[in-house]
Amino acid sequence: MTVAIDVAKISLTYGKVSVLKDVSFTVNPGEFFVIIGPNGSGKTSLIKSIAGIEKPQHGRIDIMGRPLSGYGRKALARKVALVPQTAPADFPFTVAETVLMGRAPHLGLLGLESESDLKIVRQVMVFTGVAELADRKIEHLSGGERQRAFVARAVCQSSDIILLDEPTASLDLAYQARLMDLMEALKNDRGATIVMVSHDVNLAALYADRLLLLKDGQIMSQGRPADVLTYETLEKVYGCTLLVDQSPLGDFPRVTLVPGKFNPFAGSG
Amino acid sequence: MSIIKSMLLYSVALLLAGWVMLTGDVSARQVTDGIGRQILVPDNPVRLVALAPSITEIVFALGQEQRLVGVSRFSDFPQEAQQLPQVGSFVHLDIEKIVSLNPDICIAVKDGNPREVADRLAFLHIPVYAVNPLNLEAIMTMILQIGDLLNAADRAHIIVAGMKSRIDRVRERVMKTDLRPGVFFQIGISPIVSVGKGTFIHELIQMAGGTNLCAGYSSYPRLSREQVLVLSPDVLIVTTMHRGLSIDQIKAEWAGWTQIPAVRNGRIAIVDSGIFDRPTPRQVDALEQLVQLIHPELSKESP
Amino acid sequence: MTARPNKLLLRMAVVSAILLVTLVAALLMGLSLGSTHAGFDAIVKTLRGHNSSDPMLRAIVWHIRLPRVLLAALVGAALSAGGLVFQALLRNPLAEPYILGISGGSAIGAIIGIILGFSRFPGVTVMAFAGSMCTLILVMIISSGQSILKKDSLLLAGVMVNAFCSAVIMFLLSITQDARLHNIIFWLMGDMSMTDLKQVGILSAILIPGFILIFCLSHAMNLLLMGREMAMSMGLRLKTITVTLLVATSFMVSATVSHCGLIGFVGLVIPHLLRMVLGPDHRVLVPACILGGGAYMVFCDLLARTLPQQGEMPVGVITALIGAPLFIVLLKRSNR
Repeated sequence: MTVAIDVAKISLTYGKVSVLKDVSFTVNPGEFFVIIGPNGSGKTSLIKSIAGIEKPQHGRIDIMGRPLSGYGRKALARKVALVPQTAPADFPFTVAETVLMGRAPHLGLLGLESESDLKIVRQVMVFTGVAELADRKIEHLSGGERQRAFVARAVCQSSDIILLDEPTASLDLAYQARLMDLMEALKNDRGATIVMVSHDVNLAALYADRLLLLKDGQIMSQGRPADVLTYETLEKVYGCTLLVDQSPLGDFPRVTLVPGKFNPFAGSG
Repeated sequence: MSIIKSMLLYSVALLLAGWVMLTGDVSARQVTDGIGRQILVPDNPVRLVALAPSITEIVFALGQEQRLVGVSRFSDFPQEAQQLPQVGSFVHLDIEKIVSLNPDICIAVKDGNPREVADRLAFLHIPVYAVNPLNLEAIMTMILQIGDLLNAADRAHIIVAGMKSRIDRVRERVMKTDLRPGVFFQIGISPIVSVGKGTFIHELIQMAGGTNLCAGYSSYPRLSREQVLVLSPDVLIVTTMHRGLSIDQIKAEWAGWTQIPAVRNGRIAIVDSGIFDRPTPRQVDALEQLVQLIHPELSKESP
Repeated sequence: MTARPNKLLLRMAVVSAILLVTLVAALLMGLSLGSTHAGFDAIVKTLRGHNSSDPMLRAIVWHIRLPRVLLAALVGAALSAGGLVFQALLRNPLAEPYILGISGGSAIGAIIGIILGFSRFPGVTVMAFAGSMCTLILVMIISSGQSILKKDSLLLAGVMVNAFCSAVIMFLLSITQDARLHNIIFWLMGDMSMTDLKQVGILSAILIPGFILIFCLSHAMNLLLMGREMAMSMGLRLKTITVTLLVATSFMVSATVSHCGLIGFVGLVIPHLLRMVLGPDHRVLVPACILGGGAYMVFCDLLARTLPQQGEMPVGVITALIGAPLFIVLLKRSNR
């Protein structure tokens, strides 16, 4: 079974700043893989590197067994879809038109869509719950609705791998849950490989098959949530007092932040 | 017999060819125009368009105004010229208008009319006779050339002879004195613009026995009042495109500057730009006016 | 959602057809009106070659009016399409075709050409083109490196270069005298009066491939609006497409401006106007801007020729007089 994503010893520097140092890991097909870590740990750079938008100076990334550099842009887009952290707010198109653009890697020169493309778009819009927003303009939507539209667009790319960079960052609780469920459904129903960057450790724990914990561009831990989310590892990485126990929802770790006033062991001041 | 016959046939063929080459049934001849180009002009032009006001004036002076079918916009002398159809200003001519008048020749001034216009008209089979009057001498040559062109050579000679004799008279008068008062000739009010070497006016001033104080500058230099003060003119002459600027207004403009001899002695005058700026026979009028202004003492004697 | 596959094609076809008809109507109007009066049927007859007995009318229609209206159509098309492309590339609604220093550079080139006494074509035209290419290269150098894809750096560099060129232009104007000054001012305000079929032919040889190229990249322009990362992740070769569009469009606009001087407000207003009416899809907008922009320009040039009692106005004045209020109206509409 070919590994979906094989990251081998990549290092990325911007000018003098080193954002990724000798990072290696693999993602299996059909896996829900979540990358967590504090700000500045290189999570976004890592996702962008996998998407082919950033080019690490050292190391290699293989997608579905072929080196990333061996893919043409369009061919890569048919394999990997990206939902970046920020979506343009002044985008003049409607939701339907936006989602339709997701078919771009499969279209010819003028991007003339066929009936089958439109069918796919209709299905995806229903699947992702944006069908009722179809004729609304993106610029008139709330942040959460906009995000869902762009996620739908990524799903339309019909790619094997979907990368998401902090997709729940600006969403309401309800939408956060819906998005995660959507990704889970994509994984289960369509066999998609999901790689998500998240700042929400608990949500990650509930859904991820495997976690990758980054700090300062280096891997601190990877594996099943229960193995990665331990008190020692997390305290070292996040530098604060945390309580790790079992979630009431099942066999998942639950991480609780312990701020100063609850912490009898915190230093004074 | 056969040689004569063939020669006859040959010349008839030549004539026919010449005939056919022209659009229309006029006979034409090859001439060299005022700037040295070889062009084909009709023997008897009946539809003439003057592309500059100076040309219009000259055509009227030659008594050939019946040939004119169009003039350029500011052709205001003589009065009758204003009745003729206008073909745009001489820097921005309306080619369509010119073509619609169906001229058989146009006369253009090299320094002013754009080259492209002449080329376009030539392309449309309308001959353009160009002239380039740079000084009084050249103006007189131009009058003769245009006279030849319009079959008014005699009239042209009379005009030029008249101009020459008046110029000679002025020269004689001026030679009677060694005084060469400093003249500041102002052609622009705001900003102050004067004339340098290479302009008609400069030549006229020198001929009229004055010293053009701006001779060392470029053709149309801009000066500040202080610079005029430094030049210290004895005579201040103003010409302006704006009719209606009165002598009192000009005097008022300069009134405070009594360090200038011209102001102190009240030797300020306005002259009509129409005769000073245009290369026409009236330049001699301008010359005579200048002599009056620069050497008033000379005019007391009989001419 | 009810979109059907041929709905887009249908829209493209209908919009193009309507604007094409408008363009042809404008062309015919432009041919029939001018400083001489001739009946409409006389004009049509002359066009079809039947009026051989009136060489004057033939000369007027074929050699004076026809080149002029064709040039106007090409200019309007190029400026509108150029404005549309820059608005997409730079993702800025204020972008217009002169924004990358093209107006400043071509003006300086043209002014120097006029001062040196070159004739309008080819002298001044070539100088203007050279000038705009110089400023374009300057702008690209200033905003070079990775930041060429950062829209703001290009824009700022362009604005600065244009501002500097304005100062140089002021200086050149102040030292010029008389007749040449008049020529310069007319060039700066747009002047299509001195053109012939040969120039029109040269310009269309440059512009028509450009229009086709832009049309082919119209879907890419839609994707560009999503931002750098999303566009790339959807298979867009960002650097290639951006540089291609930038260079091709600048080249087209430079060639256009070299032939007709600086005509403003067309490249800014027409794309906005059409976007308001037809929506943001560039596959519809590109042909619309080309045809609609062309018709608009022919119409403005007609007004410039026929409105004044004597002579003609510079066409740049007409486009500003119509364009500025129109833009303000659009702005108010879109704010609601």
